[in-house]
Amino acid sequence: MADVATGNPLVPMPARIVKIVEETPDTKTFYISTDQGKPFTPKPGQCVMLSLLDVGEGMFSVTSQGPDHLEIAIRKVGVLTTALHEAEVGQVVGIRGPYGNGFPVEEMKGKDMLFIAGGIGLAPVRSVINYCIEHREDYGHLWIIYGARTPTDLCFKEDLFNNWPKVENCRVDVTVDRADEKWTGPVGFVPPFVEQLKPSPENRIAIVCGPPIMIKLVLETLAKLGYNDEQIITTLEMRMKCGIGKCGRCNLGSKYICLDGPVFTFAQLKLLPSEY
Amino acid sequence: MYKLATEKLPELLQCWSQGATVYVPQKVGEVTLFRPFKGQGDLALGEGNTLEPPKDLFFPRTEKLYDYWASGKEARLEPVELHPDRAVLVGVRSCDARSFLLLDQVFLTRGYVDEFYKKRRENTAVVALACTQAAPTCFCTSFGIDPGRAEGVDVQMWPVPGGYLLEALTPRGEEMLKQASGLLAPAEGEKIPAPAQPSLQVELEGLVEKLQKMFDHPYWGELSRKCLGCAICTYLCPTCHCFDIDCETIETSGYRFRCWDTCLFAHYTLMAGGRNPRPTRKERLRNRLLHKLQYFVERYGQFACVGCGRCLELCPVNVDITKVIRDVKEVSL
Ligand code: SF4
Ligand code: SF4
Ligand code: FES
Repeated sequence: MADVATGNPLVPMPARIVKIVEETPDTKTFYISTDQGKPFTPKPGQCVMLSLLDVGEGMFSVTSQGPDHLEIAIRKVGVLTTALHEAEVGQVVGIRGPYGNGFPVEEMKGKDMLFIAGGIGLAPVRSVINYCIEHREDYGHLWIIYGARTPTDLCFKEDLFNNWPKVENCRVDVTVDRADEKWTGPVGFVPPFVEQLKPSPENRIAIVCGPPIMIKLVLETLAKLGYNDEQIITTLEMRMKCGIGKCGRCNLGSKYICLDGPVFTFAQLKLLPSEY
Repeated sequence: MYKLATEKLPELLQCWSQGATVYVPQKVGEVTLFRPFKGQGDLALGEGNTLEPPKDLFFPRTEKLYDYWASGKEARLEPVELHPDRAVLVGVRSCDARSFLLLDQVFLTRGYVDEFYKKRRENTAVVALACTQAAPTCFCTSFGIDPGRAEGVDVQMWPVPGGYLLEALTPRGEEMLKQASGLLAPAEGEKIPAPAQPSLQVELEGLVEKLQKMFDHPYWGELSRKCLGCAICTYLCPTCHCFDIDCETIETSGYRFRCWDTCLFAHYTLMAGGRNPRPTRKERLRNRLLHKLQYFVERYGQFACVGCGRCLELCPVNVDITKVIRDVKEVSL
């Protein structure tokens, strides 16, 4: 690994984009691999610093991994992500990590799991959904509630409509804010959709990821349904540079999101300043 | 304990310059700065704190991380191999010496070691000079710092009539005094001078607990109304350690570097897509002050202010951290 060879944790290792999947008009999943195979093995929910050397570096969650690659879903929002969207298979990138705490998969054992995501927020959640599926016997019922603006904006359609519904004791509910002529499923925002579905808080952990406003409203909904703050887990986003708790950039109170996060229970978040 | 006669100081610096670069406060125009000792120069060893803290010896304002070449789909990089020269930092005050220990916490602990900082730090011997006279803006003693004896340094010096007393505090310090033994005389019957007694004091008891309840207090809005967001206070602060990472590309090659940054700048937390969790100076100044007085304490168990007084003295609009501490104790929740 780069930091062993060079001693400098800020220096990435070279890797390549080996496959690109177009998820939605503005989101692509990049498969990243090095000549030696998988760069490293992140825990579900951990992040990596991915760079186009001559453009910039950015922190992204790892959405899934195979035996010899990492999958990183990236929405086009700024300079780096636009350049990445223009890149082709074979492009050399820099990668360093994995960073952050990841989801508490040990503490979650034996629980029923509720995954609530909106838009690209499904990317980090997918890593833990797949983990629970791989370790199926360790977890109870899996319930995935997902929403996007329109049917074309739904990420990971293959998983949503094909793979996950086939998993034993697993339920998938998908909604869109606005339907198109082909859509026959539910229409509406995620928070009221959750309220309608009424997932009971009994022995359940809820993982919530998505746009800040969705998270806020979903938290209110879950509280109404009787969830307590320890049962709800979310991930935070902040601008990042070093990824290792040194550059000061991503602090939320005395915590660094890059190192101590990005995963927090709602109970932990309540103890931190509301500056996110 | 040894004594050095005042007129032998340049010779001592010369002696330590063998195989190392000696940095010592010197007059540069109107101000005093740590600069490499070149045989002469206007030494300013006894004249209070330097304008800039010496942290850039370990944490330079810009520092290259690696070179890269990128063309089409191909790219490669070449990490910078850092082999810093040995250095001796002479004339460090107790406040700045404490700041090194705080920076050590940031750069050397909590799971990751910053190799560049570590190498520079290890390669630098620190010689402290005791303060016998406090500036009106000094308040180091409030943080338990002894102006007469610095923490974590190799050699401690004290100014006395006709020269300096020197005491080695580490094996490296002993080595340095041995190296200079021809210039030093045993200090028989010399008395260590009384340390400076800053008249400015702050009361820290209960401060963290109060601040923990004050995040949403209107005080920060009022305080920040006069702040210009110039960040002088962070660039001159010995404990501020934030940095940016950026790159410079010319055609197909370039390099990635880090450079000092500050939480007082608007772009600091600006995210791709336009969201900014600290959109105004209120949130930004609050972050700087809470980082010094609350967050750092929560994370590392110590205040990230050493009472050097630089920000009090140089903030163009008089945002005064000692006044903030006093105000905080008084505002009602
Ligand atoms: S030096 Fe003063 S005006 Fe400038 S950013 Fe700091 S507090 Fe604000
Ligand atoms: S906050 Fe001000 S007084 Fe405290 S160490 Fe920094 S510059 Fe010095
Ligand atoms: S990104 Fe540098 S501290 Fe988190």
